[in-house]
Amino acid sequence: MNTTLLATAIVAALASAGAAAARADPAVVGLLAALAFAAITIWAGSAALALRAPDDCTEPRQRPAIAQPGNEPTLTRGGVFGRIWIFAIGAFGLATIVPIVSLGRRARVAVGTVWTAGARVVTEQGRPLRPDDIALGGVTTVFPEGHVGAQDAAALLIRVEDNAMLTNHAWAPRGNVAFSKICTHAGCPVAIYRHADYMLYCPCHQSQFSVLFGARPVAGPATRALPQLKLAIGPDGYLVARGDFSGPVGPDDWNRPA
Amino acid sequence: MITRRVGRFFDERLGTGAVLRAAFKKIYPDHWSFYLGEFALYCFVLLVVTGVWLTFVYDPSTTGAYPSVLALGRNDPIGYLIRQVHHWSAVVFVAAIIVHMARIFFTAAFRKPREINWIIGILLLVLASLTGFTGYSLPNDALSGTGLRIGMSVALSMPFIGAWASNLVNGGAYPGPLLLPHIYTIHVYFLPVLIALLLSLHMGMLVLQKHTQFARDESVVVGRRFFPDYFLRTIAAFGATVTVVVALAAVIEINPIERFGEYRYWLVPNPATPDWYAGWLDGALRLGPAVEWRIFGHPVPAVFWPGLVLPGIALMVIVAWPWIDARLTRDTAYHDVLVPPSAAPWRVGVGAALLTAGVVLTLAATDDQQALALHVPIAALVTVDRLAFAFGTIAVGLVATVFASNVRARRDRHGAESERVIVLVRNEQGGFEEKPVRSA
Ligand code: FES
Repeated sequence: MNTTLLATAIVAALASAGAAAARADPAVVGLLAALAFAAITIWAGSAALALRAPDDCTEPRQRPAIAQPGNEPTLTRGGVFGRIWIFAIGAFGLATIVPIVSLGRRARVAVGTVWTAGARVVTEQGRPLRPDDIALGGVTTVFPEGHVGAQDAAALLIRVEDNAMLTNHAWAPRGNVAFSKICTHAGCPVAIYRHADYMLYCPCHQSQFSVLFGARPVAGPATRALPQLKLAIGPDGYLVARGDFSGPVGPDDWNRPA
Repeated sequence: MITRRVGRFFDERLGTGAVLRAAFKKIYPDHWSFYLGEFALYCFVLLVVTGVWLTFVYDPSTTGAYPSVLALGRNDPIGYLIRQVHHWSAVVFVAAIIVHMARIFFTAAFRKPREINWIIGILLLVLASLTGFTGYSLPNDALSGTGLRIGMSVALSMPFIGAWASNLVNGGAYPGPLLLPHIYTIHVYFLPVLIALLLSLHMGMLVLQKHTQFARDESVVVGRRFFPDYFLRTIAAFGATVTVVVALAAVIEINPIERFGEYRYWLVPNPATPDWYAGWLDGALRLGPAVEWRIFGHPVPAVFWPGLVLPGIALMVIVAWPWIDARLTRDTAYHDVLVPPSAAPWRVGVGAALLTAGVVLTLAATDDQQALALHVPIAALVTVDRLAFAFGTIAVGLVATVFASNVRARRDRHGAESERVIVLVRNEQGGFEEKPVRSA
């Protein structure tokens, strides 16, 4: 029995290694390895049970010998460690805050995104868009020209009916309306648009933003509207931005003016 | 022959022989539930071994990370298996810790003198979860990148130091160029070293204080010797852990990053659900109220409450539990003997309520998929989950309390009939005397 199990373990281990070297399917390699370990498990387990050793060996338990009053080790003995030491250690500890705090200062956070007035609105592929390129009810991810993938600049361009917008009608030329794609809740991309009720959905915690009301949150945990990108039609007929987003992009922190 | 020589070499120089002899003779109490912690320990061993291997193929740069993990595909059976085993051990690791902790809780093993080890255990759970989360983020795929962004948003919601901490980790605003390198250092260095340290303390304290037992004699440890009895058992525990994890890794693919694609901050797979142990936090974010208060003119982000306050409170309650329990039982004495869970029905109730809260929040993390499958609106599910979190936990706690007190009543009726075991105990004169031990 024992020999069979150990032999199984050895053969399975070697077979697993061989299969791996021969680039066999990982399932084969893995199951052979698992078989080797299973044989070891059964071998050790059955050997333990076969010992029939009593499980009532005993060993005394001791409680820690607690120092009696007057006998306690103390730091103040001989006047070597006075109370001043506590302050000294505290002061050294406090001083370490300076190098720690300096770590987070290394990089300054840019305020705002790279969207500027007159920047052409382009797709992920860098293709500029005309007001009619997006069909009614369509949606696409856009960036400022020359900055595809730039930090926090991703916006969703949605095409609604010409006069559908209920807020800031002037920011949505010919029904082209754009909002930051970064959820104001915890920063996920707001990836899903349903034209039937003009609703944007965040797939992370299911916040819903009502496009017609300026991407105001109407359900889910988000508390702030997605900042809007004011759009216009440029002299060459392409969609352009009229500046940066209408508010701070992405999740809030305690110091951010929201 | 050779082992004897090596043994002698060290014995002559360090006196290890006597230490080993004592260690081999040491008595450990035996019960199936005492192996739960060992499963966790051996998962950690597996994680370290596979993790070291992975450090040689992983590229922590922003552009190199995803391709370097993608290269460990099915056509590279070794790389594929090692990554799969690593991820599977991580999820089993956290599960084993939680089940082990539940055993400690329900049998009251946290009582004096083991409060310190209880707290170390909680720290280990926190560290294991953080290590899991940071490791999950390393492949830089669309799913984990999204999880990392949510995590960074929660970090950002820390009062006043949030932006600083986020800057620190990102090396700038999210997603900074140093984010992955920093997460990598944290994952392969800081957290594992901390875990190894605390694990040594955890087990050192176990040896020092001696393991608890079910046999009802406070003055002696009743159990088996380390060698060969317990040694064989722990080999079996190791083998069982490896067998299960490797078999899972071979058969069920975990985290198929090739299906998610590389992370771009504006792209996300749908549905977006994290590894199971992070689910309760994701669920909490989904159920959290849509409120943004202002404190002294500062906005308090909505994620602050479910993302930091809720887990903070949960952690504080669990850390303080040995003292809360001591107060409720008016019992501050030393205890080395475990109680059956039913001995304190209200403790069963509290434990069941806490576990239920975790389960409700974890389930809430998939509410979008449930809504889709059940054809109900998500808002309705959120309401149901909120009610379940607020009242379902209490209801389950009450039912568990009643159930446990019924068990206790039955146990008391049959208690007198339970088998009696006699053990030999050394008395002060050095002789032996018989002492009855009633096994639980
Ligand atoms: S990140 Fe969008 S709802 Fe949480």
